[in-house]
Amino acid sequence: MAQANKYIRNFCIIAHIDHGKSTIADRLMELTGQVSARDMENQLLDSMDLERERGITIKLTPVRMYYTAADGCEYEFNLIDTPGHVDVTYEVSRSLAACEGAILVVDATQGIEAQTLANVYLALENDLEIVPVINKIDLPSADPEGTRREIEEVIGLDASDAPCVSAKEGTNIGAILEQIVAKIPAPKGDTEAPLKALIFDSYYDNYKGVILFVRIKDGSVRVGDLIRTFRSDKQYEVTEVGTFNPKLLPKDSLNAGEVGYVAASIKSIQDVAVGDTLTDARKPAAEPLPGYKKVQPVVFCGIYPLDGSKFNDLKDALLKLQLNDASLIFEPDTSVALGFGFRCGFLGLLHMEIIQERIEREFGLDIITTAPSVSYRVHKTDGEEFYVDNPSHLPDPADIEWMEEPVVKAEVYTPPEYIGAIMELCQDKRGVFKDMTYIDEKRVRLLYRLPLNEIIYDFFDGLKSRTRGYASFDYELVGYERSELVKLDILLNGDVCDALSMIVHKDRAYPRGRELAENLKEAIPRQLFEIPIQAAVGGKIIARETVKAVRKDVLAKCYGGDITRKKKLLEKQKEGKKRMRSIGSVEVPSEVFMSILKTNKQK
Amino acid sequence: MCNIIGEKSENTAVSPVERRRELSLPKEQRCGIYVHVPFCRSKCRYCDFTSYPEKIGLAEAYMACVYKEMKLRAEELHGRKFASVYFGGGTPSVIDAKWIAGAVRRLRELYAVTPDAEITVELNPESVTAEKLAVYTAAGINRFSVGMQAASDVLLQELGRAHTVSGFRRAAALLRGKNFNADIMIGLKGQTAADVKEAVSLAAESGARHVSMYALTPEDGTPMYGDYLNGDLPDEDEVAALYNCGRAALAERGFYRYEVSNFAKAGFASRHNRNYWQRGEYIGFGVAASSFIAERRFTNTRDLDDYIKCILTDHYPVVDDERTTPQDAKFERVMLALRTEEGLSLKAYAAEFGADLLQDFSAPLQKNAPFLEQTEDGCIRIKEEYLFVQNHILVDFLQNA
Repeated sequence: MAQANKYIRNFCIIAHIDHGKSTIADRLMELTGQVSARDMENQLLDSMDLERERGITIKLTPVRMYYTAADGCEYEFNLIDTPGHVDVTYEVSRSLAACEGAILVVDATQGIEAQTLANVYLALENDLEIVPVINKIDLPSADPEGTRREIEEVIGLDASDAPCVSAKEGTNIGAILEQIVAKIPAPKGDTEAPLKALIFDSYYDNYKGVILFVRIKDGSVRVGDLIRTFRSDKQYEVTEVGTFNPKLLPKDSLNAGEVGYVAASIKSIQDVAVGDTLTDARKPAAEPLPGYKKVQPVVFCGIYPLDGSKFNDLKDALLKLQLNDASLIFEPDTSVALGFGFRCGFLGLLHMEIIQERIEREFGLDIITTAPSVSYRVHKTDGEEFYVDNPSHLPDPADIEWMEEPVVKAEVYTPPEYIGAIMELCQDKRGVFKDMTYIDEKRVRLLYRLPLNEIIYDFFDGLKSRTRGYASFDYELVGYERSELVKLDILLNGDVCDALSMIVHKDRAYPRGRELAENLKEAIPRQLFEIPIQAAVGGKIIARETVKAVRKDVLAKCYGGDITRKKKLLEKQKEGKKRMRSIGSVEVPSEVFMSILKTNKQK
Repeated sequence: MCNIIGEKSENTAVSPVERRRELSLPKEQRCGIYVHVPFCRSKCRYCDFTSYPEKIGLAEAYMACVYKEMKLRAEELHGRKFASVYFGGGTPSVIDAKWIAGAVRRLRELYAVTPDAEITVELNPESVTAEKLAVYTAAGINRFSVGMQAASDVLLQELGRAHTVSGFRRAAALLRGKNFNADIMIGLKGQTAADVKEAVSLAAESGARHVSMYALTPEDGTPMYGDYLNGDLPDEDEVAALYNCGRAALAERGFYRYEVSNFAKAGFASRHNRNYWQRGEYIGFGVAASSFIAERRFTNTRDLDDYIKCILTDHYPVVDDERTTPQDAKFERVMLALRTEEGLSLKAYAAEFGADLLQDFSAPLQKNAPFLEQTEDGCIRIKEEYLFVQNHILVDFLQNA
């Protein structure tokens, strides 16, 4: 067996927003002579507006550096960026699966933050070696020793030799480079074995086709090789391989342990899923990499163009997004209330929000999103059995023998002081307690069995607010369980609005119906007539609210000088109306369909 | 809450059709003149109009400029007949009455102002004197508009008005027998239905033949806006209730509503204002005055010094100037006419645009059918109970335009 290059180090950086991840990355590249700091700003950190605003990194931008260490050997570093946000764990795990180590950056003035903690746990679970670094020692309020103690006590890492640095001033950055060499293991893997490469990201290039970001685990790949994808089982001839500097830098080959890209004139976005394994078509590996779990959408919602004529634009947008987000699935769907659109599947609520925002921002489309749902298994009286994730596709209750809902095994990691609050929350969400273990003094693992449809509403918000963000949460679908489920309908002005229907547990129907009606009452603006809002289960009304009719809506005076002003005012009002959708005779703001659930907080 | 009774069966024996006939201005009367007098004794708390209490010393120079502007425009407006003149402000009555009289004289010299023209001047109770009225009347001014606003000293103070209720009574006594309007404001801080009723009584008993009842619009930048931000002003439901109450009280007194904010005894609807709502032409003189001539809407500068400078150097002081498109024209016609009791006559629309209103606006007409009605003499109008919520309806017409 030919050992993978022992001079390679693949790592990522874990840091709380603002703790200096980008500055450290900047310094590392500067010190290794990669690119000038100025260029880097625009290259490595070339991120979406959305990321900047929400303080999360969604796109992963790898970069390769070369470093001659104190031992006189030249090392190849591959830095793979990680998202900083706890909810994007699927993205984090994507980058973690490509690394052997992680630099943990902690701000010496602030200490460890909750999100960082969650990602560190994730890295530990992925067997990554953690290299703690204490940053911002140049600030007067810095407490490097306190921070060192905190790292040891809270995470349980040995931080005795953690470098104290100032990325801003470039102090002690060399120590980080040395620790990367010393602490992070070289990649394992056999360069002679059949090719096994993990696709951890991709994007579409107009000239080269789909560019795959890969981590070679075993074997090698070179131009001209015939490669095959495991999951989609497609073959391609490699046209280019290379590394990132961080721009694409063509090479002859990529070998075990390396991180780089592969282009193979792949035209179809759908054929290569991120998370899939590449292998040699002539000499295939026996089995794919475990990589990360096969992505399975668990949350579904309808996405419709606000302007019905933009259906095809929406389709294009979804196709493009799917390219570097294999977990996004969609199919055409229609709604009585909203017309033609798509039923989309996501990994979770945040994923859903990110996709929605990207559609709006990157593609400039105005969309309407319906309430999220999960996929239910329906057993009809005639023996037929199928899955339904769209409440409006649920058969007549008389034809349903019984139904099942997806349940998850939920793991919550938390400091012990929040155990009570978390148990209460899980209880509230129809959770069944399974287990509780103390990992150490500071970390407790709670295990619950929870219906997925309870999680998709406001579980995250509840967890965050009850634990001040210190709990991390993950779940795994474990199967289906029989459940008493009913369809909750919303009637606007007497007519059922299919886009607002949802499937809920029968015990939840009444409170949720009331909440929904109340929220809708707040969200729907007053119109010229009174609008009754009713929640109904099986034709029986369980809640009612009323949007009162508007009573004053006129400019008091309209004389010579007011005419232009009045026209402008009406034009402005008309702009507002464009964000509305007519459901029967009722005009409903487009964000209502989604927002009614968000406001559905613990009251 | 008041009952809205008696408004349909008014004591006046005028049928709705006749009333509408009275309201509809003959084409030759659809041209008016507006003169802006931007001076006041003090600024009211709600006021965002162009007025300069501190610059009243400039009144003489200013009016000289207005005269000159009249002259500048005379040639291009030659051939038009003007059936109304309106002096608004500010407070036209704070300046020497001879300047107003002089303006009327010049207008008659330079323009074809019809012999029976309606000539109105706005007055504030505190600045009315018998001498001034004598000068106005001698100049041919035949209509007055008094800023009464409320029948409670507390409310008047709240508004920052310079007069009191007794001050209004004094002014009204001087105006007795003349054709005058009284302004009433609704939506004031602490205002009750009883306050509105009392204001209507005061106006009616003082001999007003016309009442303009406005809902206060808190404008950004005025002291009143602070009250609005602090939630001190009545909300929309309360304002609507006050309005309905005032409307009922006015109807009881024989004032019928001919436009959202305007009420008159039979035969006393203002010609000058009706001209606006029938999309007639008008020329505005003075600072901030707006004009609509030959499908152009233009407005003079709102800055007094700029205005004077422009005029003195023989320039038009116009700052905004927009030409209306045929689409604009149709929409404006609908927007303005739907403010009025008479509504929009299908025949008049066809005559003006050579088009069918029902076709041009079929979608919004259909969508808003529950809120509209067609009268027996072929007019489309907003049902009376929706007149106060018409923006919702008009927006749909805009989408069509």
